[in-house]
Parts: sequence; C-alpha cells; structure tokens
Amino acid sequence: QPSPKQEEDYGYDLFPERNAPKKYKKGSIGESLFTFSHKCQVMLQFAMETSPYAKLLLSAMKSSGCKVFKDRHFSCEDCDGTVSGGFDAASSQIVLCQNNIHQQAHMNRVVTHELIHAFDHCRAHVDWFSNLRHLACSEIRAANLSGDCAFQNEAARFNFGLEKHHQECVRGRALRSILAVRNIGREEAAKIVDEVFDTCFNDHAPFGRIPHGKKDAKFACRDYENRDRYYANI
Amino acid sequence: ASNGPVWRNTPRVCEDYWSEFRHCKSFWNRFHHYYAFGAAPSCQQWKEDYNNCVEWEKNRSATEALQTSERKRVAEQTKFTPLWKLRQGPPKDWHLPLNHGKPEDS
Repeated sequence: QPSPKQEEDYGYDLFPERNAPKKYKKGSIGESLFTFSHKCQVMLQFAMETSPYAKLLLSAMKSSGCKVFKDRHFSCEDCDGTVSGGFDAASSQIVLCQNNIHQQAHMNRVVTHELIHAFDHCRAHVDWFSNLRHLACSEIRAANLSGDCAFQNEAARFNFGLEKHHQECVRGRALRSILAVRNIGREEAAKIVDEVFDTCFNDHAPFGRIPHGKKDAKFACRDYENRDRYYANI
Repeated sequence: ASNGPVWRNTPRVCEDYWSEFRHCKSFWNRFHHYYAFGAAPSCQQWKEDYNNCVEWEKNRSATEALQTSERKRVAEQTKFTPLWKLRQGPPKDWHLPLNHGKPEDS
C-alpha cells in the first residue's frame, strides 16, 4: 500500500479506487444501482468497436505484443474531481472515470487519449514516475492526436482561437495533465513542456498524421493496414 | 504473380491517392489545417502521386517519381529524435494478472 504522500506524488489520490477496495463488489446489484459502471462498460465496448482512433491504436498495440483485453486492461471506476481517465503504468491498466464520462463522444476521446499512453508504454521505455520529460512528451502526444484539441471540442470549452490554436491547446492540456498528477510548480512544468514540445508534437505514431477528425483517423487506419505493401514498394 | 517478370506493386492503391487528394482539398480539412498550422495545406503532391501511380500501373514508368515522393513523406514523419529508447519487446508485466487477491499490508 503506497503511503499517502506517495499517492499524492503520482496522482493516485485522483483515483481513490486504485489502491483501496471498491465500494461495491464487482458485478453486484449495488454496483449496478449506485454507480455508472454498466454504462461505462457499454460505452467502452462501443468505442473499441467503432472509433477508428481506438481501432488503430488497438491494432498497433497488438502488433507490438501488447494485445489489449478489455477486462484486464480497462477499469471503470469512480474518480475525484473532474478527471476523465488515467493510465496506470504500475498495473498496465487504463482507468475510465465512470462518474465523469457521460457521453459516447467523450468516452471515445478518453479511450483514445489513454490508449496513446498505453501505446507509448508498450513501444518504449517510458519512465512515467521519475522522468517528467517523458511524461510531458506522452501528454503532448495524447492531446495532439486524440482529438482533445479539435476545433469543436475547444469551442465547446469556450476556448475560441483560430490560427495555430491547436498547438496552444496541446501545450495547455499537456501542462494541466502534468500539474494534475505531479507536485511541481506551474513554471517548472511549463518549462519542461516547452523543452520537449517540438519533438513530441511531431511524433504522430501510430497515426502517421495528426488526425483532425474521423476521416483522417480512417485514412490512418487504412495506411496502417496497408503498411507491409507500402514499405515493400518505396 | 508467379510467372514472368515480377513487377513491384504501387506503394498504395491508386484510388487511395485520389481520395487523399480530395480529402486534402475539402473545406473541413483546409479549416483544420489552418487551425493547426496557421497555413493552407498543400495538396498538389497527392494529385501528382495519383497520376504517377496510374502511369506505374499502365506503363511501368514513373516508379522513381512516386517512390521519391513517398520516401519524402516517410522522412517528414521521422525528422525528430525520439526522447525515449524504443523497446525490443512488450513490457514483461503487460499480460500478468492483476493482484486482486493481494493480502492487505498493515
């Protein structure tokens, strides 16, 4: 059991059900009546089956030896505050905050965002706990490639901006994500984001492009399925 | 193909180049590109690639032009030095079961 200080250091306090017994036993009537667990499971299944973003990431992870099993690698839990999800590298699990995700479009985005972290964990030696630059890099990639910063999502948050607003949004969300899970000052976090921004903003794996919408994601899927032929013939 | 000279396939099916060109020029794509990069996307290369692809399939020519264009695209996607070291295989604990039955430490 990590100490309370350790929990805070790594953001585990946002996910109270991670290191404590769940309030309602899994599969119990109490769970279905008093939590959003069932709804979360249904939306997750739908996201995995229909979102081209999620499908591409699942495919890429499978090719890298990290096949994703819904019951093993995803966990629907109640979380603190307004956080929507997280990736727990210690248990190789994606946490979905069932009390904060109520729409399918939001679920699709959260699943994509967290799968990008899982994908990074799978393909590289990401030092989630002691290397803030690594953490910042994965957060930049997740904000950039998941649709978090698509125009319509920013507009819905009343963040209006046009030219290159996407990049400002990516910077801002990466910063927020780091501040939520680590005990460091805003200036220090911003400096780290700046240091790694260019490298990580340009890393579009496994999409091969920044998917601005479903069509881009579908084309990225198509490219991924076609990759053997592609690389054999260039 | 089993008999005769082995011709290489085009990197992508030719219709894919055309659909990329159409998508590139669409309103929403141009809008999102401006939103992300502050400039209009350049779509002409997709059209050239489509024409070269068709040439390749019909007359087995223009292979070099298309390959050069694609190699340039690959270079664009790999023009940074990764921050982290890539793994040789998946993390060892990815498939391990969760410790649900772990006894509580006091």
